[in-house]
Amino acid sequence: MTGRVVLIGVGNPYRRDDGVGWVVAEAAARRLGGAVEVRQSDGEPTRLLDAWAGKELAVVIDAMHSGAEPGTIRVLEAADESSAALSRVPLGSHALGILHAETLGRTLDQLPQRLVVVGIEADESGFGEGLSPRVASAVGTAASLVARLVEAPTQEQ
Amino acid sequence: MTHRGGEERIFSVDALARVEGEGGMHVVIRDGHVQDVQLRIYEPPRFFEALLRGRAYTEPPDITARICGICPVAYQMSACNAIEALCGVTVDGPLADLRRLLYCGEWIESHSLHIYLLHAPDFLGYDGAIELAADHRDLVRRGLELKKIGNQLVELIGGRPIHPVNVKVGGFYRVPSERELAQLAPRLEHARQLAIDTVRWVAGFDFPDHVWPGELVSLRSPGEYPITGGRLVSTLGLDIGPEEFEERVVEEHVAHSTALHARLVERGEYLLGPLARFALNAHELSPIAQDVAREVGLSPDERNPFRSIVVRAVEVLYACDEALTIIGRYRQPDRPAVDVPPRAGVGYGWTEAPRGMLWHRYETDADGTITSARIVPPTSQNQAAMERDLFNFVERHMHLGDHELGHRAEQVIRSYDPCISCATHFLDLTVDRA
Repeated sequence: MTGRVVLIGVGNPYRRDDGVGWVVAEAAARRLGGAVEVRQSDGEPTRLLDAWAGKELAVVIDAMHSGAEPGTIRVLEAADESSAALSRVPLGSHALGILHAETLGRTLDQLPQRLVVVGIEADESGFGEGLSPRVASAVGTAASLVARLVEAPTQEQ
Repeated sequence: MTHRGGEERIFSVDALARVEGEGGMHVVIRDGHVQDVQLRIYEPPRFFEALLRGRAYTEPPDITARICGICPVAYQMSACNAIEALCGVTVDGPLADLRRLLYCGEWIESHSLHIYLLHAPDFLGYDGAIELAADHRDLVRRGLELKKIGNQLVELIGGRPIHPVNVKVGGFYRVPSERELAQLAPRLEHARQLAIDTVRWVAGFDFPDHVWPGELVSLRSPGEYPITGGRLVSTLGLDIGPEEFEERVVEEHVAHSTALHARLVERGEYLLGPLARFALNAHELSPIAQDVAREVGLSPDERNPFRSIVVRAVEVLYACDEALTIIGRYRQPDRPAVDVPPRAGVGYGWTEAPRGMLWHRYETDADGTITSARIVPPTSQNQAAMERDLFNFVERHMHLGDHELGHRAEQVIRSYDPCISCATHFLDLTVDRA
């Protein structure tokens, strides 16, 4: 699996829940025994392209700001036909970055074979370290979900 | 959003497109004159200044690198300079070279991103990089290829591409071997050619007639183009060391804006960044960078902020060339860092971030615990100049409709490459793809 899959945590750990992407990516990697590439990203589109180009599966994990209950997890798949799935959903503190990266990657043929975005609804977004309680309690579920995506990629939707 | 009521025109752009991060712009026109211009673009890193208090003097390079995903090296280098000055230590030789090389990587990355993905679409009539890429795939690929060599430099020397972890006070945790660096040379030679192509490409754009008439300020370091230190000089004769900065730059209210503005005492707004660096230091560029700048008609008298895209391209060329020079003379040092014993005192440091001079100040007690920290980034220093310029621009283009005026004003702001990614990351996001 190593080399064909990348987990990309997007965020900034000094903006409280904005750091959840990094935390979930690391937790999922531990569940997978470390046999997977993990990247920390600030969401800058061209770096996302570099991180996921040529991969069979890229899972991007980011904080979400959609108005849902804090800790809510959403899984979005960039479908082959269009990027509509990503564009319809108010995803993430860095969704603009991910959306731009996905569209740019499609234009430049620099997308992974499969791109899945996992969003975790944030609660607190001010400066500071550490996740808020409701977001922290969602980390385990999100990490399991990401690990399942990697272990059985063809069975997940 | 545009609001017209009686003799008052107000227009706001709540999310400025294609600047690093996000921000807003608010302009009020009353009775045919601009009354107020506000840019909501920068929140100085006060959180980090508070976070640093009580920490060890060795921690600022790691902590401040997190302030900005685009220019972490700048934060690390200004922090190291300040702490080392405080402790009375000078880092020179191959270690100083490696710092400059790491910084070249950041300049290449940051400038290439701005040139190709953020700024060029303005001159070519595209809404953004995605639309540009759809029609000019090879051009955008060239930009990404150029940017990637910057990433690779930062990753090799800094330890990883964002928030580099290999930098420490006194030097590095690990230094690369001569062979590791030499492997980058062919890619840098290729990047240098791409940079030359980039300069020629952007120099051919059609530039609006526009001038920043004020004071230009940058570091100057005799014998080299300023990156990792020097004295702060200006087009009006300023010449100060980092310890004088707080006396010479004050934050104050100005008539046209409600935001506090950084101003030089008894002088006013000033502009940092590529245009200023080039105006004050063009003679220090490498011969190839000087030749190509001359070929495209760029002179130190250039004052058009829109043409800063050409200066950025010349600086990318210089950074590639300078990186090759450093790699050519590099000999792996015996130790990756010099000792920096703690002591009580105050230390000041500054370097040229891609967007201009970044100043740090630290105060420590005898065991090296930080008792106070202050960080003044280039974008917050440039805010006054940007607002002043926007004010003048709107005054002169009042005849345009609100939509066109707003659009053109955004372009003025983008030409200054403001970095606001260190400010608020969270967007109340509704993506409208219509």
